[in-house]
Amino acid sequence: MSAGAGDGSSDRPGPAAAPRQEAVGRLLDRALPPGYREEWARYFAQAADALGGEAAAREGSGERRLLVFRLADEWLALPATLVQEITEPRPRRSLPHRRGELVLGIVNIRGELLVEVSLAALIGVGEPAGAATQARLAAFARLVVIGRDGRRVAFRVDEVHGLHQHAARDLVELPATIGKSASSFATSMVAWQGRMLGRLDGGLLLDAIDRGIA
Amino acid sequence: MLFLMFRIGRDRYVLDVEQVEQVLPLMAAKSLPGAPPGMAGLINYRGEPVPLIDLSQLATGRPAAPVMSTRIILVRYPAPGEGAHRLALCAEQVIDTVQRDPDAFVATGVEAGMPDWLGPVAADAGGFVQWVRAPALLTDEIRAILFHPAGVEA
Repeated sequence: MSAGAGDGSSDRPGPAAAPRQEAVGRLLDRALPPGYREEWARYFAQAADALGGEAAAREGSGERRLLVFRLADEWLALPATLVQEITEPRPRRSLPHRRGELVLGIVNIRGELLVEVSLAALIGVGEPAGAATQARLAAFARLVVIGRDGRRVAFRVDEVHGLHQHAARDLVELPATIGKSASSFATSMVAWQGRMLGRLDGGLLLDAIDRGIA
Repeated sequence: MLFLMFRIGRDRYVLDVEQVEQVLPLMAAKSLPGAPPGMAGLINYRGEPVPLIDLSQLATGRPAAPVMSTRIILVRYPAPGEGAHRLALCAEQVIDTVQRDPDAFVATGVEAGMPDWLGPVAADAGGFVQWVRAPALLTDEIRAILFHPAGVEA
């Protein structure tokens, strides 16, 4: 009899879901803070005047939003509009007769086979040294899928910070005289957390990958 | 089919999400003196006056509780003639959406004498949810007042 009662209760998904729903309800049943309604009324009224400006700002901000990631010891940034997906690194199948540095192999992303390239090889950032560093890095490694116009490729990064939206004044064009390492793809620098990030040019990067894969 | 769920009093009601443009936080509204019950006023949505209907007030005579989960549902409203108008609905417990088959909704059997905006019901573990027909929330009379084209004398 007791076993029957136990079975009955375990069948039911309700009891587990109900407290959570209640908790959400309780959380949202807080009284409104003073001035809440007036503030929102002002916000939605104002948005109207600045609607044109807001849309324009959104347009511009797409380009100014960056994915910040780390490759070996270097923090880099890529326009967020280019980034389609960030996932866990997954097993990669190497391709016979492709022993080039750039193409590492094929990865399966939910059934879609994408070419995984080595961004480090492409832009010339050195591999991280030391086993300890390597182990630490593995925990944060992510697979980034970038693409444009249906062309998609994946590459592995050692760490993804997230998205960073920078102000126009934080962008510094790179002097043309700097011709070292990543600078052929990094067309500008962005101030971020007290340091300078190399901002990779999406178009140049994709073109170079296309040339490398072909 | 996806529905936005809310509450009026203790009961749950749903709106077709196709009609919902946005869910807004509760905001101050300009009251409309002499407006029929349920007409909570006008909100300024990006410079456009949008009539606000308090569903709790309309259905139970008690205004919606001023808490965080009480929100404003902005619905598109097919207007006679040109385009679509917006209508803002203030409802309680706007915190959930549900996936339901439209065929699961059946007539209540007590349509006679009920307001037009109350649609069919669907049963689930917690009782019934009732489909709210947003376009029927405004009677022809109120619709004519609200959406009377500017510059045309009544």
